[in-house]
Amino acid sequence: MACHDCDALFRAPQLHEGDSIVCPHCAAKLSTHRPHGIRRAAAFSLSAASFFVVANIFPFIELKAGGQISRIVLAESVSALNQHGSPGLAAAVAIFILGAPSLMIVGMLYLMLPLQFGRRLPGAIGVCRAVFGTDTWNMIEVFLLGVLVSLLKLGDIATVTLGISFWAFACLIVCLIAAVASIDKHELWNQLEEARG
Amino acid sequence: MSTEAPPGDFHPRTAAARGLASCHSCGKVQPVTQQRCGRCDAKLHLRKPDSLQRTWALTVAAAILYIPANVYPVMRADRLGGAEENTILSGVVLFWEHKAYPIAIVVFTASVLIPILKLLAIVTLCLAARRCRRPRAMTRIYRMTELVGRWSMVDVFVVAILVAVVQLGSLMSIQPGPAALAFAGVVITTMLAAMSFDPRLLWDAAQDAPQHHE
Repeated sequence: MACHDCDALFRAPQLHEGDSIVCPHCAAKLSTHRPHGIRRAAAFSLSAASFFVVANIFPFIELKAGGQISRIVLAESVSALNQHGSPGLAAAVAIFILGAPSLMIVGMLYLMLPLQFGRRLPGAIGVCRAVFGTDTWNMIEVFLLGVLVSLLKLGDIATVTLGISFWAFACLIVCLIAAVASIDKHELWNQLEEARG
Repeated sequence: MSTEAPPGDFHPRTAAARGLASCHSCGKVQPVTQQRCGRCDAKLHLRKPDSLQRTWALTVAAAILYIPANVYPVMRADRLGGAEENTILSGVVLFWEHKAYPIAIVVFTASVLIPILKLLAIVTLCLAARRCRRPRAMTRIYRMTELVGRWSMVDVFVVAILVAVVQLGSLMSIQPGPAALAFAGVVITTMLAAMSFDPRLLWDAAQDAPQHHE
């Protein structure tokens, strides 16, 4: 294998559970052996999928001020931008908090569930590339920080209540991060290559 | 190519020196003459194509977008008393004046400090890719740049949430400002710039240059 940071070429060693391959030249961490990574990723992706659904159905935030109530679901943070004259921004936010995470969840389930039985579904290779390509643009955890900052901004002008969806969203973040963290890219590609079509 | 490594320092042969390319998508090492990866069908390159030109172009674009992102308001609050516009910096100042110091620091870091540092870091990396004395330190800068870039998006999300939730009729409503889109543009272009930079160029430059090692 070759290091993706410095291109040093070396032979991949045999690993035991928990061992990592670290580039001998530039110390980049290249791979960690996790025997049950695929199963764990499948489980976390399943929970992420259910939290994603809940996060999109129920109210996200409720605002009370001067006798008026304003309640939104998650997707309204996108549609409101569109309504108030910023469709470009709406599209960007939609990709970062809805499109990218849903693509990742669906893609991971498509890969991980069959892979437990040593199989791969048609197009799995393309899906795998798409999942890794999307990871950078999935910004749900940054969005959560944005929600917290907004809460502090609103604190002195209104009463804010967090809805069920907010908590589901928080759980979604944990599950998705855990799912991605349990995958080792190097091993996943090796397993995909060996899997039967 | 260095043939004699100084004691304690390790100079492996690079994959490129043997005509081998590691697939940028799946990491499989194979002869570059194959053109496409045998495992995942991605195009094979020894180095990311036109890495420096792309990175420079995106960095310049980001630097230009950075101006409207800070000059124009990110949002406008219409209240009974009148409208109030906020730029990114004035938002931070507002938190500071309300004595919300931790959150002021978080927002300042994400929206002001990280974008500026990131632009500087990418310029440094681009210059270092020509003549590099300290590839290890530069690679560390590269990894940091890739890691923290996304967090600058916080302010854009704050605008999205406030615009959606603060629609209280005549009492108060919040509209997005032109700077919000420009700022999102800055974050996206700097992320793309970091992605198109190839850290292996640093090590290539270090090998070509006379040996000065850390």
